[in-house]
Amino acid sequence: MIVGLHHYLVVSALLFSLGLFGVLARRNLLVIYMSLELMLNAANLALVAFSRYNANLKGQVMVFFIITVAAAEVAVGLALIVALYRRRGTAHVEDLNSLRL
Amino acid sequence: MSTLSLLPLLPILGALVILLVPAAYSAAWRGIALGMTGVNLLVATTIFFTFHVGIGGYQMVANHAWVPAIGLNYHVGVDGLSVGLLLVGALVSFAATWVSSEIKSHERFFYVLLLVISGGVLGSLISLDLFFLYFFNELALVPTFLMIGIWGRGADRSAIAFQITLYLSLGALVALVGLIGLYALSGANTLDVVTLAAWLKTHPLPASTQTVLFGLLLFGFGTLVGLWPFHSWAPAGYAAAPTATAMMHAGILKKVGAFALLRAAFPLLPEGVAQWTRILAILCLGNILYCGWVAMRQRNLNLLFGNSSLAHMGFVFLGLASVSLIGITGAVLIMVAHALLASLEYALSGHIYRETGHLELDRMGGLMRRMPFIGAALVAAMLAGCGVPGFASFAGELAVMFGVWPTLPAFVVAAAFGGLLIGGIYMLRGIRQVAHGPDVGTTGGDVPCWTGRIPYLVLLVPLILFGVAPYVLVDRIRPSAALVVERALLKPSPAAPAAPAVAAAPAH
Amino acid sequence: MEPTHLPATNFQDLAWAILLLPLVSALAITLGLRRNRELTTTLSLSAVGIGFGLSVWLFFLYGVSGERLAATPLSWMSVGSLSAHLGLTVDPLSTLMLMVVTGVSFLVHVYSTGYMEDDPEYPRYFASLGFFTFSMLGIVLSDNFVQTFIFWELVGVSSYLLVGFWYEKPAAADAAKKAFLTNRIGDFGFLLGILIVWAATGTVSFDAMAAKLKAEPGILGAAASLAGVLIFLGAVGKSAQLPLHVWLPDAMEGPTPVSALIHAATMVAAGVYMLCRVYFLLDLPAAWPAALSFLGSISALDVIAWTGALTSLVAGVIAIQQDDIKRILAYSTLSQLGYMVMAVGCGGPDAAMFHLTTHACFKALLFLGAGAVIYACHHEQNIWKMGGLAKRMPVTFWTFLLATAALCGLPVLSSGFYSKDAIFAAALASNRPVLFGIGVLVVGLTTLYMSRLVIIAFLGESRSEAASHAADPGRNMTLPLLILAVPSVSLGWLPVGAYFKSAIFPGAVTHSAEGFSDVFFEPFNHSPLGAFLGFGLMAFGLSVAFATYWGAAMDPMPGHLPRLSRALRNRLYFDEIYAATLIPLHDAVAALADWVDRWIVQGLFVRGISGGMDLFGRALRLVQTGNLQTYAFLFVAGVALVVLLALK
Repeated sequence: MIVGLHHYLVVSALLFSLGLFGVLARRNLLVIYMSLELMLNAANLALVAFSRYNANLKGQVMVFFIITVAAAEVAVGLALIVALYRRRGTAHVEDLNSLRL
Repeated sequence: MSTLSLLPLLPILGALVILLVPAAYSAAWRGIALGMTGVNLLVATTIFFTFHVGIGGYQMVANHAWVPAIGLNYHVGVDGLSVGLLLVGALVSFAATWVSSEIKSHERFFYVLLLVISGGVLGSLISLDLFFLYFFNELALVPTFLMIGIWGRGADRSAIAFQITLYLSLGALVALVGLIGLYALSGANTLDVVTLAAWLKTHPLPASTQTVLFGLLLFGFGTLVGLWPFHSWAPAGYAAAPTATAMMHAGILKKVGAFALLRAAFPLLPEGVAQWTRILAILCLGNILYCGWVAMRQRNLNLLFGNSSLAHMGFVFLGLASVSLIGITGAVLIMVAHALLASLEYALSGHIYRETGHLELDRMGGLMRRMPFIGAALVAAMLAGCGVPGFASFAGELAVMFGVWPTLPAFVVAAAFGGLLIGGIYMLRGIRQVAHGPDVGTTGGDVPCWTGRIPYLVLLVPLILFGVAPYVLVDRIRPSAALVVERALLKPSPAAPAAPAVAAAPAH
Repeated sequence: MEPTHLPATNFQDLAWAILLLPLVSALAITLGLRRNRELTTTLSLSAVGIGFGLSVWLFFLYGVSGERLAATPLSWMSVGSLSAHLGLTVDPLSTLMLMVVTGVSFLVHVYSTGYMEDDPEYPRYFASLGFFTFSMLGIVLSDNFVQTFIFWELVGVSSYLLVGFWYEKPAAADAAKKAFLTNRIGDFGFLLGILIVWAATGTVSFDAMAAKLKAEPGILGAAASLAGVLIFLGAVGKSAQLPLHVWLPDAMEGPTPVSALIHAATMVAAGVYMLCRVYFLLDLPAAWPAALSFLGSISALDVIAWTGALTSLVAGVIAIQQDDIKRILAYSTLSQLGYMVMAVGCGGPDAAMFHLTTHACFKALLFLGAGAVIYACHHEQNIWKMGGLAKRMPVTFWTFLLATAALCGLPVLSSGFYSKDAIFAAALASNRPVLFGIGVLVVGLTTLYMSRLVIIAFLGESRSEAASHAADPGRNMTLPLLILAVPSVSLGWLPVGAYFKSAIFPGAVTHSAEGFSDVFFEPFNHSPLGAFLGFGLMAFGLSVAFATYWGAAMDPMPGHLPRLSRALRNRLYFDEIYAATLIPLHDAVAALADWVDRWIVQGLFVRGISGGMDLFGRALRLVQTGNLQTYAFLFVAGVALVVLLALK
């Protein structure tokens, strides 16, 4: 079996769907956050695959950017979640609806 | 750069400077505002007197392309329709700034907003590109919301602030739809009135389109002026507004709507004019009679002034509806006169409110004894308000009636004079209740020194001067009004060789 | 009228000085001189005095010779076919009227220096008086309708200021308001009339209008009579004719010299003067627009004549039962104004002007005399609390008596005799015997109520403490009385009537009196019927008055004719009828409009729309769950939808 572009994309799509399901279905902010990372990495995988098959480095450059930004985002995001947990004693999304009118 | 651009520029510059002055120098805020409006008054006076009388077209024109892709130009100029309004706009701004010493909290912000209104109004009056006219008008409208909400009177002032803002935004929105329609359907790719007028002369819009667009502009801009039945925002809004805001809004900002009709709707959409003037003539009787009757029932001085100012706006609309040289000249004359009159009325009621703490007619009386200067000025203003000669408003109302007589049914004129009669009733009842009669022992006194009289005098004296010699205004207005009438009546101009093209256009 | 022209000598421009001097003095007093009483007095007296001198000069220079000139006009407003300037016409009509106005005004100024001496607002009074004189002179000198209308309204304003001079007194403040508004109703018609005439002739200038009308008599078409009646409506307001007469008696709340000047001699005469000025517009054959065609052959002059006659009669009847000395004179003024208006309607504007001139003198004298009485009796105005004043106030009494004789039309020894006879002659000449009858009857009424006034107030014994200590006032108040007595007696001996005839109808043949009997007994030769009948009724009225009131302690009439007396004391219920019908009706309309505004426009529509928006917003708010994952789900669903649509 030759591993082609399609295989990479299917894996990427599966990863993305898993991530999306996690974001929508899980209640714990930390898990939602990890699912988000999963979605980002699914996109990374697709980009690298496209880059490889199009013989073009732009996609991989893009991935580096995403990884960098994601690292920063994790730092900020986790800090927010920790702060929130300390303040409200919960990390469950149902309990966090004070912006509701 | 044209001198004209100074008019909106100076107040806005002044507003920026006030923002930069630290709170330690708070006394300078008022000084800067007074200085800027004072200099602006000098500029406006210079413009008024260097204006070439007898020319109908635009003068002191400056034209800079701004966004050429969508035909947007910074195009300014002054003609007979705007020159008088510019002068009184600067006068009212100066007087309103002067009486704002009553403001005791957040002064910096207040003066900034006041200067923004002033700059916005003057900017819209000099704009020859309808986009800028609209933009400046909106710029001036926004601060009224904040001012009523923050410095206004009465417990329900924030509700009233919302009402007036939403009402006027809605009106402006309708007008905007009309303007966009004009832009899109004319095919001229511009809202510059000069270009647009030339373009529409050779490429007239279909009559039905003109009718729809005229209707949108009429009701949109009409709402800004308080055209019946879209008027109820005005009296309540003015009653709740701080003195300076009511002066600026009732005095000059409100006139921009009628001015925009004269700039855009009447000269550009002659077919629309033909369709709508009869309806307009009936609606303005709503202003003149109905609002007069409503004014008769008011027990609050500011509500009385608010309704009476709507009645005056009825005369402006009546003049417009006549589509005659005399009528439109009269309408512009009333706009100028009423700017002085309305701001004078609100300035005086502001003083009375400050001194007595209320404006309820039933609790007043004998103010003449306690406040000789304010009382005398109030009697003068109220007499001017019921159309007494010697004040500029009389000249305008007389001209409107002469203009309307040959073109509209006689009952309209009769009803209009009936409006003056009603005006006499409520104004004289007002004088009787406020100034005359025995002193009811209210608190408060007159303006303390001669400097306190300045804001009232800068409004009252021109009102009388223009009433004694209205030709100073009329000679400036007349040629421009003649151009408007000529275009509105679809008569080819003898000076324009393009006239045959209008006739030739349908032949293609 | 001939078109005016500019002659070589430009003295007619002095008319500007006459017009503007009182204004300048009023402005100067208002702006700064009000702290200085002496300066105020000097300034206002000299302004009007110089004006009077110049008027006399202009009269002998141009008026007598019948010249018609125009002073250099000033621009006011000119737009399209409305060309209104401020122009002054110097012709026989205006120059004589100028003399009357400035003359009476000057005497009233002099008198006021005494009468108003103790008033703390003395300067404001003189400023208002100057402003009034200016406005009135503006009407007299005006050469076009727009200017007349401007000054017409200004006269209304200045009378408002003067009647309401004591504004702290509720009655005065109310009277001022009433006077202004009632006048406004008349002006309503006046302006419509002006508009009709302007639309037809294309001009507002009297001369140009007369020329157009001469060249093309039918130019007003079917609106001719309507225009005339509407213009007359202006005079109905200003000259206080039925049914708009109600303001004049109330206006007596003003200071008495003001009543003498504006409510006797000048302002109320403005209506009559204006009618004479535009007589060429009124004297047109009957023609009504289709909607009013039922009026048929009634011409504008018919309406005018009948209005005048009825006013004259009704006011004369009401005057019989008034007790306030000023109100009696006010109703008498109404009655005499009715005469003048009737004269205009009977085709005798010259007779009207003649009577206007004599009336200005003797009625001003009567009011000033009444002022002296009121002053002497410490502001007591009820004649039943006077009595016996003849002995204590001889100057006032004798001048008052002379003026009364003139008002009643005592033959030969009074000016009123000649001017009234001219009116009776005009009524007869126009073939209106009924009006003639009313006119003569009113002579009897006039004599009755004036004799009643004189008998009760001046003769007999003092009826009150104040009256028993009364004395003639100071010289600055008696001098005007004495001066005014001269023309009150003698004006009829001069050919004033003939002067006005040639002034209004240029080229008309006038009867010039020569010889003693022709000058003094002219009415008996010229129109004997009116003269003899008038004399007879006068004697009758006098004897009734003496029989009824000589020595009476109280008015016997309420005892004998209670119902009539009550009706007359209530001024025939005109005010009550207005207060019960028109005013509440109009207030009800206003209340309805206010209700609609409050509940329909503001309530239903504005609140309705904002309420609807609010409900919509509340409904949409339910979508906002606050749950992050719901938002995320909707977001994803939205993206999926867009992708789907894009790929499709």
